[in-house]
Amino acid sequence: MMRDSIRLTFLMHRFELIAITIFTVVLVVAAYYVAGQLDAVGYGPCATATSPSANCEVLGQRFYSIDSSQASPVMALIAILPYVAGLFLGAPIVARELERGTTRLAWSLEPSRVRWYIARTLPVLVVVVVLAFAAGVAADRLYAARSPGLDMANAFDGYGYRGGLIAVQALVIAAGALGLGAVTGRVLPTVILALLIGAIGIAAVGKVHERFTQGEAIYVDGEQYLAGSRYVDQFFRLPNGTLADWRQLEIIAPEAFYSDTGPSYPIVNLVVPGNLYRFVEAREAAGLGGIAAIMLVGAGVIVQRRRPG
Amino acid sequence: MTAVLEAHGYGKRYRGRGWALRGLDLAVPGGSITALVGPNGSGKSTLIRGWIGFEPPTEGQLLIGGVDPGRDRKAAVRRAGYVPQQPALYRELTVNEHIELSLTLRDGFDTALARRYVERLGIPLSAQANQLSGGEQAQVGLALALGTRAKILLLDEPLASLDPLARREFLHVLVTAVRSEGHTALLSSHVITDIEQACDRLVVLGRGQTLLDLSIEDAVLHHRVVVAADWDGSRPGAIASFPTMEGELLTLVRVGGGGGASDAVGRPATLEEVVIGHLAAGRSRVSGATEAVA
Repeated sequence: MMRDSIRLTFLMHRFELIAITIFTVVLVVAAYYVAGQLDAVGYGPCATATSPSANCEVLGQRFYSIDSSQASPVMALIAILPYVAGLFLGAPIVARELERGTTRLAWSLEPSRVRWYIARTLPVLVVVVVLAFAAGVAADRLYAARSPGLDMANAFDGYGYRGGLIAVQALVIAAGALGLGAVTGRVLPTVILALLIGAIGIAAVGKVHERFTQGEAIYVDGEQYLAGSRYVDQFFRLPNGTLADWRQLEIIAPEAFYSDTGPSYPIVNLVVPGNLYRFVEAREAAGLGGIAAIMLVGAGVIVQRRRPG
Repeated sequence: MTAVLEAHGYGKRYRGRGWALRGLDLAVPGGSITALVGPNGSGKSTLIRGWIGFEPPTEGQLLIGGVDPGRDRKAAVRRAGYVPQQPALYRELTVNEHIELSLTLRDGFDTALARRYVERLGIPLSAQANQLSGGEQAQVGLALALGTRAKILLLDEPLASLDPLARREFLHVLVTAVRSEGHTALLSSHVITDIEQACDRLVVLGRGQTLLDLSIEDAVLHHRVVVAADWDGSRPGAIASFPTMEGELLTLVRVGGGGGASDAVGRPATLEEVVIGHLAAGRSRVSGATEAVA
């Protein structure tokens, strides 16, 4: 029975499911292909070498040519995948049923709307998460190829555009679109509204989380480059040992700020070390996942209470 | 006979649209096929949707099979099969997939029965819902409602968009199924000729009230029409006057019982004239004036 329910849910959404699956598969294949292309250049040793060989310049040109012409567009498309998958798979789940009036049939047959809601929602959300996760893994691979010598498990490079976070972003967009769809009962307004609210919401969560992350940041000398770290802020060490940011420096020592010949103060960077990447990623994923869960429960409550269109 | 559909002082008010129904009292006896008639906006759909739990009451109470859908919607849904006004099929699914879907939604859904009804009407099980005509979609909707094996069927103007042949087929399936299983059906419709053939009871709604609640037989038996010009308005039993297609003004008169006119006046009323007369009367009638003959 459950298998039939899942199969029929997929049939109801087959157009979007097929389109988004094809889009994702193409992106994943493209990401692995481009990553292979970048690896094949053999630029890795040059990127990490202290004294690059003569042929590194040629390799570098070829590497960065592939990076800008192929890797960047693929990464850009992967960055929008959570929005595309979340919106186009999440929005129609309830909204289209209300819009077309099929809820009148479904809700007159199924005594429990909660059961109906779970049966319609869960299979699609699983697909959203699986597809976005596959894209996130492919993005991880591509980022690793783009950043030779960097351990991607301990680096903030491409934070939010790769790995499991993409799957959670897609889930939160889908949950938001689903909830909005339950309110509006119309697919197109839902897609437009969810795109706006989703983009703002994810950016807001990112900002809030960035503030959180500052608590874990450490000060390192400007001359010391920590590969894979997340640079949060920059300061200057004053002669008395205190730190001043750019604005403070402008007031305290305008001659250093405006003149090339004035005194220079050592730069100190505030960075989140790369080894915290997994922890920070997991915490943001948990936050977004919590928001998605709240929105899914909210949508379920709306489904329980509303008229069937 | 025990009532299986009841309304007790039922009222439904929509925000910005006022009251669709107010103070409605009604009892539909079990085992009957009852026609629910009324002009657009008289609250027929609201009432039917109320019984299936789609419209919580603003005031009063509805009961379906003894269950208040406002308190226990699940139990109310379990008791009913519902055919909505507009066909509500999934255009992405075939007829057979609708039957499979119904089984996933309703415990005990009789897929064999639903398939039998669909096949009897020559509708291919493999046909996509969006390839079906309006009549076929309504038939599939009825087959799904019958497949629930619910004792109570609520049909919200399913005949509205059907051609005469499709209407006849739909009613044939409905009447045969209801009579053979001893179910109760409430059929909302504007088409009086169909009602006369299929139903055994008539409820007329107007201005949010019950204007008439009688068996079809009594409705015809206890009304006559007279030419309005020949009728002294002060005589008892006059219900309302209405024009014919030819422009002649007729008066519907209640005969027999207390306060009725003599059954020798005018000529027997048709069911359509009974309905039109009561709808005309409903335009000026105050609340609480339901005509019912035991």
